[in-house]
Amino acid sequence: MTKLTNQLRPLSLLCELTYRCNLQCPYCYNPLDLKAYRDELTTGQWGTVLQAAAELGVVQAHFSGGEPTLRADLVPLVEAATAVGLYTNLITQGTFLDDDLLDRLLDGGLNHVQISIQAPQAPLADRIAGAIVHDKKADALRRVLTREVALTLNCVLHRLNHDSIEDVIEYAQRLGVRRLELANVQFYGWAYRNRTALMPTLEQVRHGEEVVAAARERLRGSMEIVYVLPDYFGDFPKPCMNGWGRQFITVTPNGYALPCPAAAGITTLAFENVRDRTLVDIWKDSAAFVRYRGTDWMPEPCRSCERRELDWGGCRCQAYLITGDPGVTDPACSLSPDHAAIASLREGTSGAEPVYRRA
Amino acid sequence: MKPTACPRFGKGVKLRHDGNGSIMLLIPEGALVLNASAAAALELVDGTRPLAEIIAAVAAQFDVTAERAGEDLFELFERLEQRGLIAPFDGARGDKAD
Repeated sequence: MTKLTNQLRPLSLLCELTYRCNLQCPYCYNPLDLKAYRDELTTGQWGTVLQAAAELGVVQAHFSGGEPTLRADLVPLVEAATAVGLYTNLITQGTFLDDDLLDRLLDGGLNHVQISIQAPQAPLADRIAGAIVHDKKADALRRVLTREVALTLNCVLHRLNHDSIEDVIEYAQRLGVRRLELANVQFYGWAYRNRTALMPTLEQVRHGEEVVAAARERLRGSMEIVYVLPDYFGDFPKPCMNGWGRQFITVTPNGYALPCPAAAGITTLAFENVRDRTLVDIWKDSAAFVRYRGTDWMPEPCRSCERRELDWGGCRCQAYLITGDPGVTDPACSLSPDHAAIASLREGTSGAEPVYRRA
Repeated sequence: MKPTACPRFGKGVKLRHDGNGSIMLLIPEGALVLNASAAAALELVDGTRPLAEIIAAVAAQFDVTAERAGEDLFELFERLEQRGLIAPFDGARGDKAD
């Protein structure tokens, strides 16, 4: 039994159906210019995308956003994905997931739901979300837990809620959640803009690691805890997307196909749109997908590094955000000549007020 | 997992037959590629067949002893159970495993 990590085949399609959202979380990775994405793909266009993805060998379709349940055609899209043999996953903040919608999604073949909370207590959660929604999410979680569908509870961790990490685990346990994802914030889009306010402290990061290790031991066999490491605190970069254009495709609300959900921020690359060319063609030979695929593009220190096929040079979007050049080693790597920039970013600011996401 | 338990898939776990003849286990937010004997065993998971019977069937199919087949398969089922991907199911008592 192995993970599919070493073949060039898209396995996963992230369908960002809309960037509209009724929450305003400052840690959102969506782009800042949300207004530029309002010309959304139609139901039929998404159907074509799903079919092309299946043809390429994709096995899972993830419906996300923004808030995907704001699309009136979410159910037909789940049905379309199921019809071409895809495993379907809904990534939602849950505020619209009532019994009726859930019934229709499950009839449509939905396999998995990921619901996010902002914190385990309503006052803090609602403050981070910029809306009174926490109790509604708890209702949605209970509703999903009683149904024949898998659930992951997700909480993005950052400076403002990191100290509640133990309470998040307890919250999940109390509800009977089987799979919990504790994801340290990744700094793209709104989160990058808010990085000084959201950057966890070193103490928070270390404490989090201890708490997760102990909880995994204690809850072995009853809860799986997925812990997404913080990006700026390790020695090596994350193997972002398991390599650029190797296994993942993201399609934005307005139809751009990206090798990574944050890639639209890289303005030096020309991404192609599924309205102009098929997803199959874009995956195979579009300049943006091919540009950083594999290892041939790598500069030193990646080129001669023994880890080059472990972390694939790290994250192109992060390299671009921090150095202005998407073609250099991810500065998160301790071997990068730009690594000093990470050390200064790691210094967050206590009490800094984040900017809330808005269109 | 006991040999008498009847494993069944957890929520959101699906076997998938790929075009090229390989079989994958699709799980929440991931996919596992199965080797031939693991695939054969998981194809028999239906919540009514005891694990011992599954192992015996795989042993017969691959022409090895049940002990030999059991070495790998017990570990596989154990690991899948830990992750909540497989639940032991005792149909007689109607237990719900998670």
